[in-house]
Amino acid sequence: MVHLERYRDIVPDFESFVESIHRPLPVTVRINTLKTDRDDLLRRLSEEGVRYRFVYWNPLCLRIDLEKPGNLIECLMGYLHVQEEISMVSAVVLDPRPGESVLDLCAAPGSKTTQISQMMENRGSVVANEPAVNRIPSLRSNCERLGAMNVAVTRYDGRLFPRHRFDRVLIDAPCTGQGMARKDPSVLSRWCLKRSLGIQRLQQSLLRRGVELTRPGGTIVYSTCTFAPEENEAVVSTVLDRVWVETVSVPGLKNMPGLTRWDSDYGDELEGCARTGPLFTLRQEASSDYGDELEGCARYYPHQNDTGGFFVAKLIKK
Amino acid sequence: MELWRSRFGIPSEAFEGYAFHRRGHNVWISSSAEPPDLRYETIGVRFMSTKGKVWKPTTSALQLFGGRATKNAIDLDPDQAKMFLAGESQNLDADLENGYVVVSYRGMVLGCGLYSRGELVSQLPKERRIMSDKIENGSFKGDR
Repeated sequence: MVHLERYRDIVPDFESFVESIHRPLPVTVRINTLKTDRDDLLRRLSEEGVRYRFVYWNPLCLRIDLEKPGNLIECLMGYLHVQEEISMVSAVVLDPRPGESVLDLCAAPGSKTTQISQMMENRGSVVANEPAVNRIPSLRSNCERLGAMNVAVTRYDGRLFPRHRFDRVLIDAPCTGQGMARKDPSVLSRWCLKRSLGIQRLQQSLLRRGVELTRPGGTIVYSTCTFAPEENEAVVSTVLDRVWVETVSVPGLKNMPGLTRWDSDYGDELEGCARTGPLFTLRQEASSDYGDELEGCARYYPHQNDTGGFFVAKLIKK
Repeated sequence: MELWRSRFGIPSEAFEGYAFHRRGHNVWISSSAEPPDLRYETIGVRFMSTKGKVWKPTTSALQLFGGRATKNAIDLDPDQAKMFLAGESQNLDADLENGYVVVSYRGMVLGCGLYSRGELVSQLPKERRIMSDKIENGSFKGDR
C-alpha cells in the first residue's frame, strides 16, 4: 500500500483506511423513480426474496445482497440501476430542480446523468456531453433503459463546449480513480504523481469551462473518485476568483473537509515515475496553499461510510 | 400517434407535453421543452423505427407508455416470460392481431413482440435480453 502512504497525515484512522481498501465494495443500486416508485419496487424485491439493506443518507439507494444485480429483471426493465453508493453524492449535492437547464459535462456512462434526470422528474433539460464516441452507446442505452426523456446527448470536447448559460453544471472529471481501489486494486499500483499532474491540466480546463457555462448564481459541482489533492483541491483552487465555495455536508454521510494546503515531497514522489516527457520539469515545490475556502469541499474515505473514495466541491458562480 | 391509438388503444393525451423529432429512420420522444441550441447526437428516447413497411415501436418507448395499452397487449406466464427475455420465439395462442404487440410480465412491460400466425417473436434488443440461467433471484418463482 505504498501508494496510499502519502495520505497518512490527512486520513483519520489511517490503518483502518488501508485495511478497508482490501475489503470488497458493497453492491448498491439506485431506485429509478422515472419508471417505478420506491414502495412498489421494495415490495417486488421482497416478494422475490432479494435481500437488501437501506443506507441512512439516501432513501433511493439500496445495498443489495447479490453479486450481479445487473441480471435482476428489475435492472433490465430500468426500475433499478447499478451504481456505486458514493457516486450518488455528486447529483445530490448538485441538487437539480424540475424545469431547470442542467449540463453534465463528462456524462458517460450516464449514471449521474440519469440520476439528475430523475431528480428533475423528467422536466426541464439535461444536456449529457461525452466526447468519446465509443462511450456514447453506454450513455444512450442507460438513458433509454431508465426512461430519461429530458436528456439530450452532445459530443463536444468539454473544454470547448459552446457558449450557453446553464442553471447547474456537473463536472465529474476523468481522474486517476484511486477511490475505486476496492473494485479494481490495480488503480493503486498504476498511480504515480505524474499521472495526477498530467490529468490535472484537463481537469482545470473542464472546470474552467464549466464555470463559464454557468449563469451567475448558478451551481457548479466538481467531483472525482480519487484521493490525490492534485486532482481535487488544486483544481478547484484555480477558479476561486469566479466562484464561492459552498460547504458540502450530506446528512448521514461522514466526510472530511477539503484540504487548505498540501505538503508533498514531489522530488521523492516523482522518483516512481518514468523520467520522460515535459511534465517532469513542471514543478517540484514542496507545498501548496489552496486557500481556506477549500475546507468546504468534502472528502469521502472508504472506511468512514463503507463506500468507495470520492471528492466533491460545490461552487456558486459569482 | 395514430398508430399507438389504433394499434394499442393508447389515447393521444398520453403524449401531451412531449416533443417528437425525426432523424433518419427513427422518431425520438423528448420531455425537454426547449433544449439549448446545440449540435445533438440524440434528443430523448428512441420512440419508433420508420424503417420497415410497418412502423415499429421501440422496447424503450413501450416500457414507458405501453402500460396504457388496451389491446394487442399480452401478459406472459413465468416460462413464457423467460423465453421472451432470452430473445426467443414461441408458439402462443392469444387474442392478438398480427403485428407488433406490448408484452408484459407481473405488471411490468417487458417490451416489444412481433405476433404472427400463433407465434410470438421477441423484439428485445440484444443488450436488453437475458438468458434464463442468468436471471438472478426469484423473479420467476411460481405464478403471481
